[in-house]
Amino acid sequence: MLERNRKLFPYILILPAALVMLGVVFYPFVYNIVLSFSNMSLRNFREWQVIGFDQYIRVFFEPTEPSFYVVFIKTMIWTVVNVTFHVIIGVMLAMMLNRQIKGKSIFRTLLILPWAIPQYIVALTWRGMYNYEYGAINLILTQYLNLPAVEWLRSPTEAFIAVIITNIWLGFPFMMVIALGGLQSISNEFYEAADIDGASAWQKFKNITVPLLKPVMIPAVTLGIIWTFNNINVIWLVTNGGEPADQTHILVSYVYRAAFGLYRYGYAAALSMVIFFILLIFSLTFMKRSQATKSAY
Amino acid sequence: MKKYILLLIITLTYLDGCTPDDRMHIRFWHQMQVGERAVTERQIQRFMEQNPDVRVELLYKETEQLRNDFIIASYARQGPEIVYGPSDMIGLLATLEVIRPLEDFFDEEYLDLFYAKAKVWYEGHLYQLADKLGNHLALVYNKDLLSKPPETTDELIEIGKELTKDLTGNGRIDQYGLVWNYTEPFFYVPFLTGFGGQVMNDEQTRPTLDTEANVRALNFIQELRDVHRIVPREADYEIADALFKEGRAAMIINGDWSWGGYMSAGIDIGVAPIPRVSETGLWASPMVSTKGFSINEYIDDEKLPMALELIRFLNEPENQLEVTEAVKTFPTRLEAMEDPIVTRDSILVNSRRQIEVGTTMPIVPELRAIWDSMRPNYQAVLNSQKTAEVAARDMQSLSERRIREMLE
Repeated sequence: MLERNRKLFPYILILPAALVMLGVVFYPFVYNIVLSFSNMSLRNFREWQVIGFDQYIRVFFEPTEPSFYVVFIKTMIWTVVNVTFHVIIGVMLAMMLNRQIKGKSIFRTLLILPWAIPQYIVALTWRGMYNYEYGAINLILTQYLNLPAVEWLRSPTEAFIAVIITNIWLGFPFMMVIALGGLQSISNEFYEAADIDGASAWQKFKNITVPLLKPVMIPAVTLGIIWTFNNINVIWLVTNGGEPADQTHILVSYVYRAAFGLYRYGYAAALSMVIFFILLIFSLTFMKRSQATKSAY
Repeated sequence: MKKYILLLIITLTYLDGCTPDDRMHIRFWHQMQVGERAVTERQIQRFMEQNPDVRVELLYKETEQLRNDFIIASYARQGPEIVYGPSDMIGLLATLEVIRPLEDFFDEEYLDLFYAKAKVWYEGHLYQLADKLGNHLALVYNKDLLSKPPETTDELIEIGKELTKDLTGNGRIDQYGLVWNYTEPFFYVPFLTGFGGQVMNDEQTRPTLDTEANVRALNFIQELRDVHRIVPREADYEIADALFKEGRAAMIINGDWSWGGYMSAGIDIGVAPIPRVSETGLWASPMVSTKGFSINEYIDDEKLPMALELIRFLNEPENQLEVTEAVKTFPTRLEAMEDPIVTRDSILVNSRRQIEVGTTMPIVPELRAIWDSMRPNYQAVLNSQKTAEVAARDMQSLSERRIREMLE
């Protein structure tokens, strides 16, 4: 009896979490799959039917404005540029914080700040800063650097750069915290041994820091890519829903508009399944190629 | 094992017991601005004092979120008993069958007490009973900077030029003649109509955007900014609002929901109809709608009478007037409309003039696809990526396609 209870106990402990996961992750996911094969829309809201692959065909072949492929390429650029900068800035700052410097805790707090402020506030503050006439960025450019003012939010390319800058600012603290944790777990003995061998700073970085940091960073980068790929808040709020002229959409803001702007629920569900598969295939390949699960030692 | 189950039961019982409340809950979702909300909260407090067995829960949501959340909640047969918002969402909510027809709940005698437009009918059913008429744009001016508002667009440009100033001599404009959220199609409509255009035909079946009127109106807005330079190069809602509140803009085109906020910011405001377009002699005609109450399709039968009672209570003439006095919105009860509070207030008198020349906002869901198709093309003109002619043509074709997609 006691033995049986002991076996049952872990299941009881995970039961509440499992039930919540079932309700908020698994059920909506399955429901979304069903919807993606349905004709659910404004006219077929209550009595929708499963119609097969029509919505998927629409996703890939329907002439939309802007086209699916253009938005897809923009999403790729958005994700790659953002995550690259997140990692570079994050690791650089983590390495600086990992040294013995004065006021380390103050710097650490300041650097985590962008992450601690709600995204909505950050996005709207940056939107204000990008204003042509009154924004802080143009004021600095024109008054102190004698550079011409930039139409950050009015021109498509500049607007896209503007949202990327905002998201880089928001995203580096996460990578920094993870990298700092990774760096602190690297034993000093490796560096001491390298010093004895006469290794340069670059050689130490390349042959000790990078390989030992990799197992920590790869899952963080994977997560970073998934989050950035799906980060609707920043792009939607900074560009006011794809402005100018619907030129600053990423796939997920595109889905949002299809579902909540035009009430094409079936189509939006199919599009979100496409996004899911893009991310799934990417994550699996990336984890496998980078051998993230392999031990570093 | 029993111990764990017992512990679970005790925890759940305890959690459940945290809020002992046997009163009937009426949930009320709305999108009222701060000033308006404060008055409604007071009124609801009074309602609950009169009905001690009822608890009304007010929940604010931004207009767009209110609509989407309500649709999803009601789809799951949940959500608030009462939803309050602008009439342009009625066509959509009725099509989705998430709100209930009201004609059987309010008798004709009672409905006759309301201004005709306050009763929002769609496909033969009454879906909304409004307590506010207007929700419309008008020209608001700062009396400290401007004594007499312009009546034509020529005057608007002339006055605008005089009042657009570099006060500090640093080469930057410190005060604008006119500001408004001009990149948003809803805020463009007054000029489209002033040039003789409309977004949809009278039957509200198709968009009417590929027109000469649209081309002229698009060019007009661009000229205001680039040729006459009386509006900032970049202005969204927040920027325009902030400039006017700081006294750095003489005029703003904004809706009746915002006027209370300007008064509390200490600006001595006057309201006037948006000027006639000089070239056509037509009044700029903003969209006029209503804001009011609808009932969730899946309301519990036992809660229905109390929800209706609450709607009646908030629509009492004295309650409508209390809101009117506080935030200068226009009431819908005929009795309230003739009250000196309304007829002797210069802001409300001018608001009425604007309503009278306004265009009734279509409530069909297709309007949504039209806004969505106008926005990118309109902004493309402002960014000099498209000519007005091309944009007008593209607005038409894109909205036709989006409507088709939406109604598929």
